[in-house]
Amino acid sequence: MTHTLLARKADAPAPARGRLTVSPRTRSVIDKLIGAVVVLWGAATAAFLAQIALPGDRATTILNVRSGQTQLRTPEELAPINAEYGLQNPIVVQYLDYIGGLLRGDLGISYQQHRPVWGIIAEQVGATLTLTAVTLVLAWLIMVFWVTLTAGRSSRIRALGSGVDTVTAGLPPYWLGIILLLVFALGLGWFPVIGGAGANGIVLPALTLAIPLAGFMGQATRTEFERSLDAPFIVTARMRGMGDLSIRLRHVLRHAVLPAVTLSGWAIGSTISGAVIAESLFTRPGIGRVLIAAVDSQDLPVVTGIVVLVAAAYVITNLLVDLAYIVIDPRMKNS
Amino acid sequence: MTLMHTHTTKTAPLIAAGIVAMLALSGCSAGGSIAPAADAKQLTGGTVSYGHQQEPACVYGGWIEQAYLSYQVLDNLLSLDENHKIVPWLAETWQASDDQLSWTFTLKDGVSFTDGTPVNAEAIAYNFDYWANGGNSTAAVWLGGYYESAEAIDDLTVKVNLAKPYPLFAENLTQSYFGIQSKQALETRTEEENCAAPIGSGAFTVGEWNRGENIELIRNDDYNSAPANAKHEGPSYVEKVDWKFISDATTRVSALRAGEADAIYDVPAIEWESVGEQGYEQLKYITPGRPQQISFNTAKGIFTDENLRKAFVYSLDRESIVDTIGKGVIPYEGNGAVSQSTPGYSEKAADAYSFDLDKANKLLDEAGWTERDDDGYRVKDGETLDVQFPYAAGRIINADGAAILQGVQEQAKAAGFKVDLIPIPASAAASGKYSGEDGYDISVGYWTSVNAGIQYIIWRQNLQESPNPSNAAFYNDPALEDLIIRANSALETDEQNALYAEAQEYIADRALSVGLYDRLSTLAVNPSLKDVWQESSQGGPVFHDAYFVG
Repeated sequence: MTHTLLARKADAPAPARGRLTVSPRTRSVIDKLIGAVVVLWGAATAAFLAQIALPGDRATTILNVRSGQTQLRTPEELAPINAEYGLQNPIVVQYLDYIGGLLRGDLGISYQQHRPVWGIIAEQVGATLTLTAVTLVLAWLIMVFWVTLTAGRSSRIRALGSGVDTVTAGLPPYWLGIILLLVFALGLGWFPVIGGAGANGIVLPALTLAIPLAGFMGQATRTEFERSLDAPFIVTARMRGMGDLSIRLRHVLRHAVLPAVTLSGWAIGSTISGAVIAESLFTRPGIGRVLIAAVDSQDLPVVTGIVVLVAAAYVITNLLVDLAYIVIDPRMKNS
Repeated sequence: MTLMHTHTTKTAPLIAAGIVAMLALSGCSAGGSIAPAADAKQLTGGTVSYGHQQEPACVYGGWIEQAYLSYQVLDNLLSLDENHKIVPWLAETWQASDDQLSWTFTLKDGVSFTDGTPVNAEAIAYNFDYWANGGNSTAAVWLGGYYESAEAIDDLTVKVNLAKPYPLFAENLTQSYFGIQSKQALETRTEEENCAAPIGSGAFTVGEWNRGENIELIRNDDYNSAPANAKHEGPSYVEKVDWKFISDATTRVSALRAGEADAIYDVPAIEWESVGEQGYEQLKYITPGRPQQISFNTAKGIFTDENLRKAFVYSLDRESIVDTIGKGVIPYEGNGAVSQSTPGYSEKAADAYSFDLDKANKLLDEAGWTERDDDGYRVKDGETLDVQFPYAAGRIINADGAAILQGVQEQAKAAGFKVDLIPIPASAAASGKYSGEDGYDISVGYWTSVNAGIQYIIWRQNLQESPNPSNAAFYNDPALEDLIIRANSALETDEQNALYAEAQEYIADRALSVGLYDRLSTLAVNPSLKDVWQESSQGGPVFHDAYFVG
């Protein structure tokens, strides 16, 4: 987990030889920012190299994708495309152009859509972020409800609780999505089949992603939850006459959710990149679908643009998760 | 963890039972009649919600998925009717000169592009040069070797000069790759603008394009240039077409059943029958041109030997594979050169090979592939009888097609061929890596066209001075090229068809390419939407005549 690594680094005492006197907190922020930049640069480079390493010729790909063919192309056909996108330049030059563009905030022009990648991403990212947010909220609601209801009860209910966690965590989203679509959209007619951008249309796509996520987070939370239930301070609380539900919600949950918070940081990144299944099944716009189409057509500027964006989402959410730790666990304020 | 596993086994059947119950419940409520009332009247206006499968990057281009869309927005010079007859569209008359080297088109008067500029001879001539210079890669290969120049004679008369006679020239112009765009738009707008919303004189204009979701096609209220085979003149009855991109087949069919789509494209074979039984109108069009076929690499590898190519074909029971997977919806096609819906189709070429394992084995034995390894694959001088067979999964070969190729692999094994069936992503297929002489032993693919002239594009020799990378068999044969050029140039239809048939038989006799199945364009339409039809060059949906009843 990135955040733990970063957190450890931040906890380490400042080197004695340091000439500048920087407070540990500022130091930690600077470290994290440097880390973030390194991660972004690495992701951008990896995406670029992965695309360059693909077999075949990029100008041929661009032309074949435009015409729906799979043939070799003549140099005369390829020349204008090579010139337009600078593909005849050495790889190093192309790489420097690309990184230079990133630094200027220019992600380039799509090979297939003939328009700036920023425009493509800006147009699609809202729908994906909305889906991610709703997914996360639903996953938390389902998880908290289910864990609070079943953890630390009789052995039978506990078995049911953790069993459902395990099964849902392992459900393939595509299969789950089809079932949800056939039952709740086509069969019962409660939700539209093709989601579009409407509020009602987001429920099934979000559930498709949220149910396995809830199971996954539930597995992590349940153990901690049951351990906390036996902790001395809970016994004290019970002796104070507190009701079971409020103990579970106010004391135990707070202790038990830390692993799930960590997972949420990861889940935001993975939901953004994994949203494509829900997006294509329920015909929602979003960067997941754009990414698949771009990979399919080797639309390098779009692929690298989205990869950098997803990397940025990971970095930012992990920074936020670190902050959330401090809020949830007061002991961390002092460290 | 072990604890959890035991719990899982207890709860899994419960969950499964629940899901089955829910499915049963949903099955019950999905019935009901969808037919409109008997006294339903024609309504005016409305929006057609249409579910299409693939989303191209641009509206106009050289790919069939772009042709489907650009047909709605651009008019052609000519149209093809359902009897395969050329009828007027933007051009009222068309005439070849006596030497067949120039064509004169006279345009309809008073037609404008949606940017207000006139559809005149100058604009048409400009479009010809635009196509030939790569503005549309598919139009360019059709014009290649024939087109010389286009000139405006007067405001409404345009003359096109050819290098060789080509009586089918006018017919080829009915394909949507030859959609006419505003000259002003091509000259003054950015590439991005012409990609997303080309300007034509068609029944619809491109409204908002929400990428990944839909394209809005908005009625052109001034439309006065419908093709002669349209069911009515003047603007469309419906106000809008909401052209949705629904890539998943289950979702597409569900959207139709839930009433969220009035029409859908590409009904999967497995759903075809039930969709028909539920009362949806079904349209099926076998695209003419090259069918889904396999071509052998005749330049490198084992299939340079004609007898090995024949052995491979004899080892296959192609018809039974296609019937099993296609469930009677996908037609078997034996001809590798052109599909059964193409004029000049040769039955003889289609029937050249049938399943004969003994013959396959005999040919392989004679070629010296006498030993077999433990898995039953043939071996000669320590080498296995390997066949490299990559295919572009998803884009050129759909799920049904991939299952058919697996059948091919399985059947060829009985004769001792070790077929390496390699599904490759669209990007790799397009990259050229699998396209050269070292790329494959067998390649698979289709190419739609309106006549057997497609053979010229595919079988013309690939020479240094006139490269032809479309020649997937790498088969350079002046005799075959000459035969096809004579067919292209033949004036009488009977003579022409006889020559085209001869070319198909030439290809079959040498086992250069053999057919597998025909490519389909299918539609399913809600019965409350009337008069949706499939245009006859590629089977795309036409919404200009469509109207709702209720």
